[in-house]
Amino acid sequence: MTDTPLTPLEEDDALAAEYVLGVLPLPERLAVEARLKTDMDLAARVSVWVAHFAPLNEAYASVPVPPDLLPKIESRLFPKASALRGGWRLWLAGTVTAVVGVGVFMLMPPTAPGAVIASLGDGGSALVYEARHDGSHLLVTRVAGTPAPEGQTHELWVIAPGAAPVSLGLLGTDPLDVEYPRPPAGWVLAVSVEPAGGSPTGAPTGPVILTAEL
Amino acid sequence: MNATAQIRTETCLLLERISQQDRTAFRDLYHSAGPKLMGVLLRILGTRSEAEDALQEVFTRVWLRAGRFDPSRGAGMTWLVALSRNHAIDRLRARKPEQTDDGVAELIADTAPRAETRLIAQGEARRVTECFDTLEPARADAVRGAYLDGLSYEALAARHSIPLNTMRTWLRRSLLKLKECLEQ
Repeated sequence: MTDTPLTPLEEDDALAAEYVLGVLPLPERLAVEARLKTDMDLAARVSVWVAHFAPLNEAYASVPVPPDLLPKIESRLFPKASALRGGWRLWLAGTVTAVVGVGVFMLMPPTAPGAVIASLGDGGSALVYEARHDGSHLLVTRVAGTPAPEGQTHELWVIAPGAAPVSLGLLGTDPLDVEYPRPPAGWVLAVSVEPAGGSPTGAPTGPVILTAEL
Repeated sequence: MNATAQIRTETCLLLERISQQDRTAFRDLYHSAGPKLMGVLLRILGTRSEAEDALQEVFTRVWLRAGRFDPSRGAGMTWLVALSRNHAIDRLRARKPEQTDDGVAELIADTAPRAETRLIAQGEARRVTECFDTLEPARADAVRGAYLDGLSYEALAARHSIPLNTMRTWLRRSLLKLKECLEQ
């Protein structure tokens, strides 16, 4: 029980517990999160620790929530266009039945689901990505240029004002489709060049080649 | 005890409805679970404004991820608290070094952990409390502090005045001992 080294399984178990406790420094924490996407054994260990510690949750007090917060959350999740969920099919239906008068319809391009919320790169750039949002997903498509050369990848980041970049995923040959709320105005989308497999640190490590403020 | 069980069942039902895009259920969940989650976020993040920001993000994720909640793997409230703690800790760890949680650590260092343990012991957590009691008091405090307040290894080492590596060895041994007890 004292100084014998831990077995590999004990190591993983301790790591899962450390992750659930939240004591790990950011790079290690991100490394665990990356492993959790594919390592079902580690994920199961994490679930067990969540359940083990759950009784401690009773020590958290309840604190009144401010009344204006729910409307803010709702307007972020359900923007006015969300009444048109179903996207382009509705758009088509709208044109066929000549139901006009809803301005939002007119802003939505007929060819792709979701409105374009940002263009990374412009007419003059060799590389351009276009970001669309359909109410629940962010879809990022390369509309000009080529993917990153072999051994490298493009990585998409979202940056809230004053916050560190958060990775939304890798931009390869196919469009990136990620479940994410529509980023509010003032947030920034950025593309960096990373080693194949994505940034090893969880923060951009290579040059940032494209940015767009929303 | 019964009331708690009932709230949990209700939380599960709400999450199920939210996964089917039910906005009324989302509102109901905000009103029933919001205060508890706000308590979690406030305790870990330390300021009201940041806790409110975090609560917005947490509920955004609840809406998007409710479909991933699996009632067979635990209570709805446990899932919600885990989601909130995770997000709060991500925020803490991403803070710039000069804004570390030292201040918060000092603030809560003099709260009485024993009183907290007694409080917990009234609920379903008797088993966990008993297992915490098998650890040396300082180590039990470290585990509890890490969980409830989101303390990092750095903050824990400073609080207990021991080197970081020692702290880590200490805590990992304690966790495995705790597990052994919990799974007996």
